[in-house]
Amino acid sequence: MTPLEEEDAPPELPLAGASPERRRRLRARLALLLKVLSVSAFLALWSAATSLGWISSVFLPSPGAVAAAAGKLVATGELWTAVLASTQRVLLGFALAGAVAVPLGIVMGVWWPAKAIVDPFVSLLRPLPSITWIPLSILWLGIGESQKVAIVFMGSWVYILLYTLESTKRVDPLLIRAARNLGASDLAIMREVILPGALPGILAGLKVTLAISWSCIITAEMVAAQSGLGALIWFAKDWGNLSLVLVGMAGISLTVLATDLLAERLERLLLPWERYRRG
Amino acid sequence: MLVAERVSKAYGVASGVNFMAVRELSLAVAEGEFVCLIGASGCGKSTLLNMFAGFIQPSAGRVLLRGEPITRIEPRCGMVFQSYALFPWKTVRGNVEFGLKMKGVAPAERRRVADRFIALVKLTGFEDRYPVELSGGMQQRVTLARILAADPEVLLMDEPFGALDALTRQVMQEELLRIHEESRKTTLFITHNIDEALILADRIVVMSARPGRVKAVVANRLPRPRQVSIQLSREYGELKSEIWGQVQEEVRKYVEPVR
Repeated sequence: MTPLEEEDAPPELPLAGASPERRRRLRARLALLLKVLSVSAFLALWSAATSLGWISSVFLPSPGAVAAAAGKLVATGELWTAVLASTQRVLLGFALAGAVAVPLGIVMGVWWPAKAIVDPFVSLLRPLPSITWIPLSILWLGIGESQKVAIVFMGSWVYILLYTLESTKRVDPLLIRAARNLGASDLAIMREVILPGALPGILAGLKVTLAISWSCIITAEMVAAQSGLGALIWFAKDWGNLSLVLVGMAGISLTVLATDLLAERLERLLLPWERYRRG
Repeated sequence: MLVAERVSKAYGVASGVNFMAVRELSLAVAEGEFVCLIGASGCGKSTLLNMFAGFIQPSAGRVLLRGEPITRIEPRCGMVFQSYALFPWKTVRGNVEFGLKMKGVAPAERRRVADRFIALVKLTGFEDRYPVELSGGMQQRVTLARILAADPEVLLMDEPFGALDALTRQVMQEELLRIHEESRKTTLFITHNIDEALILADRIVVMSARPGRVKAVVANRLPRPRQVSIQLSREYGELKSEIWGQVQEEVRKYVEPVR
């Protein structure tokens, strides 16, 4: 809910007269209730649609069937193996992309010749979806782990580079001036002003790119892989097992959400001065 | 000690026409002196200050510190910015320690000196706060402590209290007076507030409307140490109307063509 909506909302009757703090808490509880209700209603609708025969189970399995498939997949450990395989590829490719693109982006931000040298490649490579690298990467690297990592790398590095470049260039020139006025050398400006000044933007970019990395790996695994969440749903489709497809999709969604939460935690830890602003 | 010799500064603007911010301005500030530059907005006060700090170079003429031309950013001329320019990722202590750190002072000594200046600006207890957690007046005090801890030879202050409310401003002026009595640091202070100039300065330099030059120099005869209460004296009133007369003409010149 945006603050605007909160302010514009007319006072609800049961809340009238309560203190703002109490009203906020009550509203949060109501919001939670509404969330639970909307999910339950959706599940009920889905259940009705399948059990009353509105939709054939060939096209949409019942929630029970999906839950059963999920239970089986968890019990055999297959789900964890798939999650682990995909996560490992994403993190490796993403880390490599970050290791290359963050330093490169910073150098490009502070030294224009570097930007001039790299810019044409960025312009040419940025429009390419990572999926277009699949044929070449298979020819060069086969269909093993390194090919998956390469797809994640190719799909991620340009974004990390652009975010880093932007945040580096947007460091307040007044702060650089102030630091020089206090006797800072070029190296000290880099370490004390540009790096911490660009850090919030770089981390925000990394967070956005992490989600992109996930979509890269799922695509790569659907095209050519024996393991991972993408392979899981692709095989399930081949077997006509729609329950399993839905379980795999839910698995992807939950895994990405979990990595997002972890990234957010890490961000708060690294940026203590932003904590206050974000409340 | 700090000298401008027939300094001019022109800026090229997008249309290609040169824009004269300062023309043939000469000014000398003596060691330990507190000089206020006063003038209408856009009269080139900040341009002059930025040249003394070495942020920009004059188009003609020279700026000198102890007889040597200032050709690059000069840490011996410490600048207090109107917009504070504190490092948001550093705590109050981290900000105040910055200049010492750049000089390679050891951490323990850095901390000792920083805490002394934090106490001087009455911020003890806030050492570990980040700037966003502080009010405008407190942030400006951190800036002051940061520059004093770096111990430059000259203090350049660009309307440092311009963004503060009237009451906080008065408190800050008294603190600056107290600090100046103690340190006797050569100070060049920009303001467009005549009262502020009369309370702080030994000498008040009135600048003309653009292009900026020195229109008048008024020696401030008010006795030191001063308090804000000096504003009630007869002498204060006379000085104020003298300066106001000078300033008024210039403000008119600046405002009237716009009408």
